Amino acid sequence: MMRPLLGWAADLPVQVSGKDGMIVRSARFLDLEMPPEYFSSWTTPIPHFFVRNHMHEPSTLDADTWQLTVSGEVDKPLTLKLSDLARLEQHSVTNTLECAGNGRAFHSPHVPGVQWQKGAVGNARFGGPRLRDVLNRAGVKDSGKHVMFRGLDEVPGKVPPFIRSIPIEKATDEDTLIATHMNGAALPRHNGFPARALVPGWIGAASCKWLTEIKVLDKEFDGNFMKPGYRMPNHPVKPGDPLNVDDSHPVAALQVKSVISAPTDEWVSSSRSISIHGAAWAGEADIVKVDVSVDSGTTWHAAQLGHERAKYAWRLWNFKWKAPHAGDFTLMSRATDSQGRVQPLTVDWNPSGYLYNAVDKVKIHVQG
Amino acid sequence: MCKVSGGQLVMVGLLVASLSPLLPRLQAQSPDLPPGPIRDKVTTACTECHESRIILQQRLGKGAWTKEVDKMIKWGAVVDAADRDAFIEYLSTNFPPDKPAELMPRSAPGKRQ
Repeated sequence: MMRPLLGWAADLPVQVSGKDGMIVRSARFLDLEMPPEYFSSWTTPIPHFFVRNHMHEPSTLDADTWQLTVSGEVDKPLTLKLSDLARLEQHSVTNTLECAGNGRAFHSPHVPGVQWQKGAVGNARFGGPRLRDVLNRAGVKDSGKHVMFRGLDEVPGKVPPFIRSIPIEKATDEDTLIATHMNGAALPRHNGFPARALVPGWIGAASCKWLTEIKVLDKEFDGNFMKPGYRMPNHPVKPGDPLNVDDSHPVAALQVKSVISAPTDEWVSSSRSISIHGAAWAGEADIVKVDVSVDSGTTWHAAQLGHERAKYAWRLWNFKWKAPHAGDFTLMSRATDSQGRVQPLTVDWNPSGYLYNAVDKVKIHVQG
Repeated sequence: MCKVSGGQLVMVGLLVASLSPLLPRLQAQSPDLPPGPIRDKVTTACTECHESRIILQQRLGKGAWTKEVDKMIKWGAVVDAADRDAFIEYLSTNFPPDKPAELMPRSAPGKRQ
């Protein structure tokens, strides 16, 4: 019996241009998670860099006709082309970009949203002009307190547009970019071609993709994705309780966090010699150490940090371990950063599952 | 193993050719939602904007599903008022908190941009 065409289509692999072997959380809107094995590279190759889209990607993107407007609380509104950005002084920032909802799947009770596990994160070298150089050309008035970004995402139905803002202090930081390049090549389409904001150390949602409008505001942007979206309660709330927006703040910088990329959960090892490794990052802070436990958190041992490092970038780490006997083991990793923050054993629940950073755990079985 | 005649292949070829503008979307075709009397309406209302995997991966109680359905109606999902409760019942029955997590596929190597 022949199968209906739509049945065939459902069985087809999800093919995504320029992306290989990613966990498909959603093909439309496109949400791709990096599997744990790809944490092995300090710089994440583009095919393995996660994608988080809230809306449909722009149906047309043309580098020749693309424009970026700068308006609002400025003396001289601007309209810039890609070639104008290329003529400005170029700067490079290696940044670990993480979705605010990375790890949402581990919250209990569950919260709605894309059920990211470990891999809505990647580390890449972004290049382009500093945002402050563009803002300086426009001349920000004293009344300018926030900088709003709008992308070319195509909004379905009556969904509010994905517009957010960042404070002027972060916008004028020397490392905040209008990124046109990623790992030395033009930004790929799924990661924001031809230009995106790059707000280092902050949640991915701050780094607006397919950027087309910058507007300087006299206050924080008042829209769904600033309020009630992307907000954390000021105080722990009871699991299941809704967000009280009047007692909350916008999610901004990332937390201290480490993940174990190998062995993976439920791994069965035929050897007692095991290399435990992973990555650790801390937003605007530096990782100072990663500790590993092989006995469910009773004792901890310092892992070796990788030599490759940069402000805002993750550190790879590894720990060589010989299991004392066959059996089941729970491995854990715990990062500490330069601000003295230590990855907690458990995290407070929040209604949208943001900034999950509990100590990572994997359970393995060691044979004979 | 089924046998397919040359004529059938030509017909399938013509059908595929006629649908070729839709192929990028078809390649991202989602799994079906679970059976139920309201399934077709849920599929139509929800997948107008996003694919079914977004639903398949949720694990929520009835209260949380109620908030999601009402939010989506506010954001443009076309749901007959008479069907709202059936939507919530269907979603909370099929995607409750204690159901094991959905396994997601890996993306196949795609054409470079």
